[in-house]
Amino acid sequence: MKVEIVTHRDGEATVVDYDYQPRVEGERPMVLDVLLQAQATEMPDLAFRYGCRARNCGVCTVDINDKPRIACRARAREGDRISPVATLPVLSDLVVRRDGIARQMRGRLSGGAQGNDLNVEAPEAYHDLTACIECYACLDNCPMHARNFAGGLPADMPEGHELPDPGEGYRWGNPFSLLKLQRIRIDPMTTDAGREAALDHAMDLGLDACVGCPGCKCGVGIDLKGQVVGELLAAAGDRLPDGDG
Amino acid sequence: MMAIDTEWRDYDVIVVGSGGAGAQAASVAAEEGARVLVVSKDPIGCSDTKISEGIATVRASGADDDTEEGLSVNLRMGGGDLNVAAITDAFAEDSQAGYDRLRTQGLRPSIDAERHTPQSLPLPLGGHTKRRSVGHKNSGIAFGHASWHAVIQESRIDYLEDAWLLDLVTEETGAAESAPSRRVVGGLVYDASRGLLVAVRAPAVVIAAGGLSTLFFPKTDTMRGNTGDGYAVAARAGAELVDMEQVQFLPFCLASPPSYEGLCAGEPVTASFLGVLRDRNGKIILDGVYLRTRAECSAAIMRAVEAGNGSPNGGAYLDMTANKKQPLSGPYFMRFLQTCLPSAYNNARQALGKAAGKCEVEWEVRPGAHYQMGGIRADEHGAAVGGDGAGDTALGIAGLFAAGQAMGGVFGANRLGSTALTENVVFGTRAGRAAAETARASRAAPDDAAFAPLIAETVKRFGQKGGEAGSALKLELQRESWDCIGPVRTAARIDRMASLIGEWRTRLDRVSIPVHAVWNQAFVEFAELRNMLETAEAVATAARERDGSVGGHVRLDGRNISAFSTPYSTVVRRDADGGYRVRRVARPRQPLKRLVSYKMQENWRKLQVKMLLMMPKGMQDKKLEKRYRAIMGASGKAPEIVPGGAEGAVGEATRA
Ligand SMILES: Cc1cc2nc3c(=O)[nH]c(=O)nc-3n(C[C@H](O)[C@H](O)[C@H](O)COP(=O)(O)OP(=O)(O)OC[C@H]3O[C@@H](n4cnc5c(N)ncnc54)[C@H](O)[C@@H]3O)c2cc1C
Ligand code: SF4
Ligand code: SF4
Ligand code: FES
Repeated sequence: MKVEIVTHRDGEATVVDYDYQPRVEGERPMVLDVLLQAQATEMPDLAFRYGCRARNCGVCTVDINDKPRIACRARAREGDRISPVATLPVLSDLVVRRDGIARQMRGRLSGGAQGNDLNVEAPEAYHDLTACIECYACLDNCPMHARNFAGGLPADMPEGHELPDPGEGYRWGNPFSLLKLQRIRIDPMTTDAGREAALDHAMDLGLDACVGCPGCKCGVGIDLKGQVVGELLAAAGDRLPDGDG
Repeated sequence: MMAIDTEWRDYDVIVVGSGGAGAQAASVAAEEGARVLVVSKDPIGCSDTKISEGIATVRASGADDDTEEGLSVNLRMGGGDLNVAAITDAFAEDSQAGYDRLRTQGLRPSIDAERHTPQSLPLPLGGHTKRRSVGHKNSGIAFGHASWHAVIQESRIDYLEDAWLLDLVTEETGAAESAPSRRVVGGLVYDASRGLLVAVRAPAVVIAAGGLSTLFFPKTDTMRGNTGDGYAVAARAGAELVDMEQVQFLPFCLASPPSYEGLCAGEPVTASFLGVLRDRNGKIILDGVYLRTRAECSAAIMRAVEAGNGSPNGGAYLDMTANKKQPLSGPYFMRFLQTCLPSAYNNARQALGKAAGKCEVEWEVRPGAHYQMGGIRADEHGAAVGGDGAGDTALGIAGLFAAGQAMGGVFGANRLGSTALTENVVFGTRAGRAAAETARASRAAPDDAAFAPLIAETVKRFGQKGGEAGSALKLELQRESWDCIGPVRTAARIDRMASLIGEWRTRLDRVSIPVHAVWNQAFVEFAELRNMLETAEAVATAARERDGSVGGHVRLDGRNISAFSTPYSTVVRRDADGGYRVRRVARPRQPLKRLVSYKMQENWRKLQVKMLLMMPKGMQDKKLEKRYRAIMGASGKAPEIVPGGAEGAVGEATRA
């Protein structure tokens, strides 16, 4: 099976053709299997992330034909083009720098002030959001996240704009960071003040971008539009220019 | 030209790893006022903790009479008395407080309204003597969120992800005999995302870098990062490792298709009453599987492979069709199989197809590495120790701490189910607190000269030439590790491993590494391979010393070590010249009465299997239907079990 692997070194992209050799007859390999075999054979220092091989750890996300997919559970097909996720800056080959996302949440999580009794049942929605494996597939096509890159992708920053330093945490948010904030808001242990603070953080991260946005898609099927963005927009109500809440 | 620059930093405490143990160590140390740096090669929170089944041990969650002493003894019975009593006591003492700590970081269990406690699973499972295992929605991912929260929310913690701790830096203390002769002064880190070496000065380091199962890749269900880095850096710094031969293999992992290789498909108990193991010729190689230990199942599979009767992918066949065919009890069996270990059943169904999912055909299975019971030798605060018996910190390394899977002495020869997630928070918390204390007491400024040789050596690696590929060498090592120090071992195999390690060490210096500093995969492969070699040698050295089978260590050329003999642990230590030395330290044995009663239970269970198999078919079916009904109760669901847990291998409860 022939695929294209887009590698990156020192800012240069190269398209490498790789011919996957099935290990058993009729094998339908995952994209991660293709990468592992390429590394074991022709591309010994091919850089890519993976961990659990079972769609739990969330680090193996790559773009397949320009759409983010979880490599360990995405079947490879003839002619597939495997490239690093376009929404984050590339470090090497298929590895992107992820930490600008989590770092933007520093100082924004304290809303979860604690009561004395920990034996409180959380609502089902809390667990729905906890299903997030932090794969960052939802950054795809998110206008809020794109604000960090002058409205586009890190690879095509227009003249005169500088790439933001991920080490400082990105200025603008994304579906994942909103999910984290909404999770705090629906945690029964959170105080009213904590709930308000979480909403303020969502506003500060650019919740206004969600108004009228067709919405985001989650790599593991969490209803981001309904359970995260919709809830936050409703809570923000009049505080947003064209709020629909 | 310098290929890679070095940045210098100062902290009170370095925490290596951001899984369950590392996240807690960091957050406690920060609460204690320490300036903390977390170094994590995976993104924050990303770890075995995150991909686990998410079942944790919380004492007294299911029964009021669940005493600390009872839990501590329970752990040691399970671990064949290789565990250190002060450590199992600490586990029992702190399990509730530790668990509550996770709840302040957002872990939300279901609540038992009547008892006003976290809801424990319905039965005292297998080797646990009480109901005390708490399950969670979203499994380990819920714990992953808690780890993430612990690190990200605490502003006194700095962190580097995509950053590999390469080595510890230590120096002579010049202290008198009553104090350690060496102390930690920091560590050297490769920060791949910024393309820098980071020399971190710190008087205390907590190693929470997880296990070593990647030595056996792809025959493992764990994260790829389990390259034994924690054991290796500790050993190179002169620390002792304990019980390193005790690797836990799950017997029934998938052998194919390749994408699913290594993932857990079941446990002895899920084979249920009529499940048997067969070789490629259909010959039964083990019956009564549900009452066997993991080691017995693994040994039966590997013996068949050894004799040339293994399955195409080097395993054997788990045949559960007889369970399924029973007219009355068959449907109950299917329900049992689907509900007691749902993730494993799903793995098998997805990997092996519909007919296998319905148990109409046999499953090809093979053991897979799951957890390392041994580890860095430490006291109940995670502080490195040396010497005899339970050990002495004065003979350890000052400022070196371990927690989580990296730490040894907690579980001895076998780990009870759902205890690792609790181990993380109990010993993460303790090590974090102790490390902060050490930092407070430390005055001496480190001598930067101690870092110099290590930095120079590391810088030189960037641009190293020689034509070997680290990734390919890793695969070679993994194949041999499986054959020589894997689920079954012989003296000859272990010796072969030792000589191969010597060869690989020379080849390591010929691994080609390009010069670029940012995310240099070849350098990463090199650094991990180097640690895997170190770890493999530690395992091989300990495995050679233990000439009989006990717990996770199966010697095909030795006898079973009796529960009645005096237990001992192996302790290995790396000499300055790189060679490994091993010795035994004695452990106290359980009272004889307790052992005898466990032994009798074992014999009774074996008899039960015989009787069941001899029964006429119709009677057998009726009897089984009754048994399933009793197990699954009104809910029609089997009590959930944890892969690697004692409840998954009933026979193991008898192994003292
Ligand atoms: C599939 C599966 C299911 C399981 N189910 C359960 C269960 O239900 N209940 C239970 O109690 N246990 C379970 N376990 C076991 C348990 O998950 C682990 O033993 C435990 O989580 C280990 O925690 P840890 O913090 O020690 O290490 P990990 O969680 O593995 O974290 C290790 C950390 O160290 C980092 N690291 C490693 N090397 C370096 C280095 N050189 N430099 C910097 N960072 C480094 C890694 O990036 C990672 O952040 C399961 C395990 C598996 C694999
Ligand atoms: S709805 Fe908001 S978070 Fe979702 S994609 Fe649009 S801008 Fe991004
Ligand atoms: S919200 Fe969904 S897509 Fe986004 S990081 Fe979480 S799991 Fe991935
Ligand atoms: S490797 Fe863990 S999600 Fe793909």
